[in-house]
Amino acid sequence: MKPPPFTYCDPESVDEAVALKSEYGSDSLVLAGGQSLLPMLNMRLARPEVLIDINKIGDLQRIERWDDILEVGAGVRQYELEDHQLVGELVPLLPEATGYIGHIECRHRGTVGGSLAHAHSAAELPCTAVALDATVVVRGPSGIRTIEARDFFQGRMTTALEPEEVLVAVRYPVTPQAAGHGFVEVARRAGDFALAGAAAVVNLGEDGCFTSVSVGVSSISDTPVRASAVESALIGEAPTENNIARAAEEIVPSVTAADDLHATHDYRRHLASVVVRRAITAAVARAHERRNGT
Amino acid sequence: MTYAYIGKDRRRVEDPRLLVGRGGYIADLRLPGMLHAAILRSPVPHARIRSVDATEALRLPGVVAVLTGEDCKAKLNPCMNFGPATIAQYPLAVDKVRYVGEAVAAVVAENRYLAEDGVDLLEVDYETLPPVTDPMAAMEPESALLHEEHGSNIGYERTFEFGDVNAAFAGADLVVEDTLHWGRSAGVPMETTGAVAQPGFNGVLEIYCNSLNFSYFSFLIAATLRIPSNKLTMKPVPAGGSFGSKLAAHKVPTLAGFLALQVGRPVSYVEDRLDNLMNSDHHGCDRFYEARMGFRADGTITGLDIDVVDDYGAYMQFGVGHHGNAFSQVVGPYRFRDVRYRIRAVLTDKCQQGAYRGFGSEVHNWVLERLVDQGAARLGLAPEEIRRCNFIQPDQFPYTIPGGNLYDSGDYPAVLDKALSMIDLNKWRAEQKRLREEEGRHIGIGLATTQERSVFSSTEFWSMVEKPVLPVTSSPESATVTIDPTGQFQLLLHCQSMWGNSPETVGATVLAEEFGIPPESVNVRYADSAHALPSTGPGGSRYTVMVAGAIRGASRKLRKKLIDIAAHTLEEAPEDLELVDARVQVRDAPETGLTLAELAATAYFFALSLPEGMTSGLEESYTYDHPYTTLPAPDGSDFGVFYPIMGHACHIVVLEVDPDTGIPSFLDYVAVHDAGTIVNPRSLGGHVTGGATQGIGTTLYEELAYDEDGQFQSSTFRDYLIPTANEAPAFRIGHVQTPSPFTEYGIKGGGEGGRMVAPAAVSAAIDDALREYGMRVRRLPVKPADIVATVRAGRSAEGAV
Repeated sequence: MKPPPFTYCDPESVDEAVALKSEYGSDSLVLAGGQSLLPMLNMRLARPEVLIDINKIGDLQRIERWDDILEVGAGVRQYELEDHQLVGELVPLLPEATGYIGHIECRHRGTVGGSLAHAHSAAELPCTAVALDATVVVRGPSGIRTIEARDFFQGRMTTALEPEEVLVAVRYPVTPQAAGHGFVEVARRAGDFALAGAAAVVNLGEDGCFTSVSVGVSSISDTPVRASAVESALIGEAPTENNIARAAEEIVPSVTAADDLHATHDYRRHLASVVVRRAITAAVARAHERRNGT
Repeated sequence: MTYAYIGKDRRRVEDPRLLVGRGGYIADLRLPGMLHAAILRSPVPHARIRSVDATEALRLPGVVAVLTGEDCKAKLNPCMNFGPATIAQYPLAVDKVRYVGEAVAAVVAENRYLAEDGVDLLEVDYETLPPVTDPMAAMEPESALLHEEHGSNIGYERTFEFGDVNAAFAGADLVVEDTLHWGRSAGVPMETTGAVAQPGFNGVLEIYCNSLNFSYFSFLIAATLRIPSNKLTMKPVPAGGSFGSKLAAHKVPTLAGFLALQVGRPVSYVEDRLDNLMNSDHHGCDRFYEARMGFRADGTITGLDIDVVDDYGAYMQFGVGHHGNAFSQVVGPYRFRDVRYRIRAVLTDKCQQGAYRGFGSEVHNWVLERLVDQGAARLGLAPEEIRRCNFIQPDQFPYTIPGGNLYDSGDYPAVLDKALSMIDLNKWRAEQKRLREEEGRHIGIGLATTQERSVFSSTEFWSMVEKPVLPVTSSPESATVTIDPTGQFQLLLHCQSMWGNSPETVGATVLAEEFGIPPESVNVRYADSAHALPSTGPGGSRYTVMVAGAIRGASRKLRKKLIDIAAHTLEEAPEDLELVDARVQVRDAPETGLTLAELAATAYFFALSLPEGMTSGLEESYTYDHPYTTLPAPDGSDFGVFYPIMGHACHIVVLEVDPDTGIPSFLDYVAVHDAGTIVNPRSLGGHVTGGATQGIGTTLYEELAYDEDGQFQSSTFRDYLIPTANEAPAFRIGHVQTPSPFTEYGIKGGGEGGRMVAPAAVSAAIDDALREYGMRVRRLPVKPADIVATVRAGRSAEGAV
């Protein structure tokens, strides 16, 4: 388990990184926290000619608020999403979901941008990005481009990122104060790849009914899935156990993952509705807490 | 009997150096000029190797040599093998590959990176053959053959019957039966197997290795390498875990030795995780059972009828020793006398079985306990009741079981009572009912017992074979105790015993007991094979018992010498002296005496002050033979006494299963073990904790899976799931001590019981949690998808009603 030979570059600025990416394109890969890339290199599943290590680029490691946007640099370590006060205040779903990423050691190395670029359908950050209507910011030779998260994830571990581009940040809309969030993930062991997971953010109107519902679901398909059918089934409805359970069933047709060692297709179909139901239920409970000021 | 040191909880003497990273593991060993080897693993399950083209690899700067099965065939004898001689194997596949991951070629290079680059450049021409993956289909005449020379994919087939099983079933009020599958898992230690070999002085090949009970097996490695056994020195290196898998991981040192001889330089071969998971030669049992058990209405077991197909994989290095092992406790702790046991060992395109904590007994115990639980449920008896009414009673020992093995001692009701005293089952059963009714939550309670045979005798390896090639009967252990001129102790062990267990703590504790010295003061060393006395090493939960016997034997000789010197010096009769707290003193006048340091100085430096005829120095060795082995009957009617040092355990599990996700979580876990006299409750507790956690792994998580095309699906820790501290329950451990009448101090082995009983207890708890849905764990590991499928089927059936 040793990587094949590669050329190693460690640029100190985004410009330099983009220049290297422009030069080497798909022959190069970006190394951030290395939590997925290094095993792939060591097992020789990835064989880049050039490895561009972005860990020295300070500009990628910022967390900032702009108006109603929380911008997180691609090089920010995942644990910061759990620890950073601004993140907890502005987008409280993120710290909760981040706690499910592997183990604490992985989160101290793994980066936000790395998880998004790796685009594993079982991963927490792609799933939450889709649920939160986040925007992915990339830079290429011709400048900055923004891509909606739901367009960014295009297929099994493939994204809208072009070979000459570098993912530089992700922008999350600030979650409204009254909204409730929930994140539920089922894995065989603590820290394992999700068998299925769901992220939900809900708003309830004066009448107590759903005014908005956003749900992202992980590990049921090639990409994280936005559960639109579930959402529309709930808008205007009261957040009752039955309504939520019935709406959660709407996720089932989106489950395309085939049988694997850890879960059958049938199990995932069932589990998808379970995690969606539980995530929405948790979000509703939080929305009620917020309204009641608890 | 009370002891000053034995039985006291104390920290392990091994820990300080391990905790500061000074374990001295094989991957840290660097020899001048050392090369590294990497292996090309077969990507196909079954194929003839037409050719291996190494031209490009050999052109790569830094690559020194490429060796293949052709080289093995030309220059080696087949590897050690206790299975049929018609199923030969080599460190690199010869002519055919028989599973995904089998080693095809080795590349030797200046470093491991270059060696793997070289592997990438090898071109192998495979003529693929039909994969043989299903053991049932493998037995059909139309199946492709793994070993043409063997002529069949059945490696072994035989039926043993003790008593009259038909009569036992005819007299039963209830016969339960089940179809059960115990899936493949393995020891999977944190440190893989590795070896560094170097051609040394005087034509001696030296192999440093973290595996292999070399005192027992190294002459077989020499035979494979075609060198005289006195020209091979195996040097033990501590290992980061074995769990059985390092007992005889012989191909790694054989390959390192072969490569070093070919290139004339030191060569390191350390398995990486991919190598270890797919090619360790130590996958665990993979058994399919049709099993029946008879009961009378009062719960008394009348008999057991087992038909087992064991998927051995591509080779059978230990023959069917795993079933011989199960015969050591074939009736468990129960009194029934009638047993039929049919074995078919089947060859398939999978990594072969080796040793894993339990060595087959753990599987048998799971089957036994699954049947007992089914009987209890159908007879309306609580799990503790049905067991209690079948237990062999404390006054029945020594007790000979069907098949001939003997149980030395035990008090099974006491173990059950102790376990029940540690947990309030009535409270839990009430809580179970309340949670189900009020909150819709499902908790389950499982209770299981096991025998824990310990101290294997070598007859186990061949007693089931009609014409055994190597019907050995010895499995000794040796120790050398030296008191140096200042009275400090050296303990020399004669095997590879540092495998993550506690050989040094055990040794130091026994020496402390014998001489009254602080255990931490003892320095423990390991002999290499050129210096080692007869030893067998850890395996079959034998080491603590055997090394304690050896150390006590050597200590007796040393104590006599010390007392004789003191008697001579003090002009007292030896029988009036005693050794207390590192000092020999006059029994009736303890103020008169000599310290060990004073006596040692005399022994080493004052020969003229020694008793007449005594020679200088203070060093004694002792070889302790297996305390109780008898010969098997040649006709298979009786295996003799081969595993008589018999422990016992009872586990009680409370867990909750989420019926919507199928995820279990533990609420309480009580484990009570009787391993005879305890040397150190802390290290025995570690064995119970680790063993039970591995049992939970086999039950819920771990799976070495092959798909129907023979592709291996568990080649990384992403897919091979070992329970961690997050999954393991907070075990509450209790002990009962029924000393063995046959061993020194009455110690019994305690290394495997946790894994032998946990699968049965956890399976029972899952059944109990989901009883209303008809849940019955019949296939391990039981996965969330299996549980949810049962719950959903149960719910739709309810809906239909």
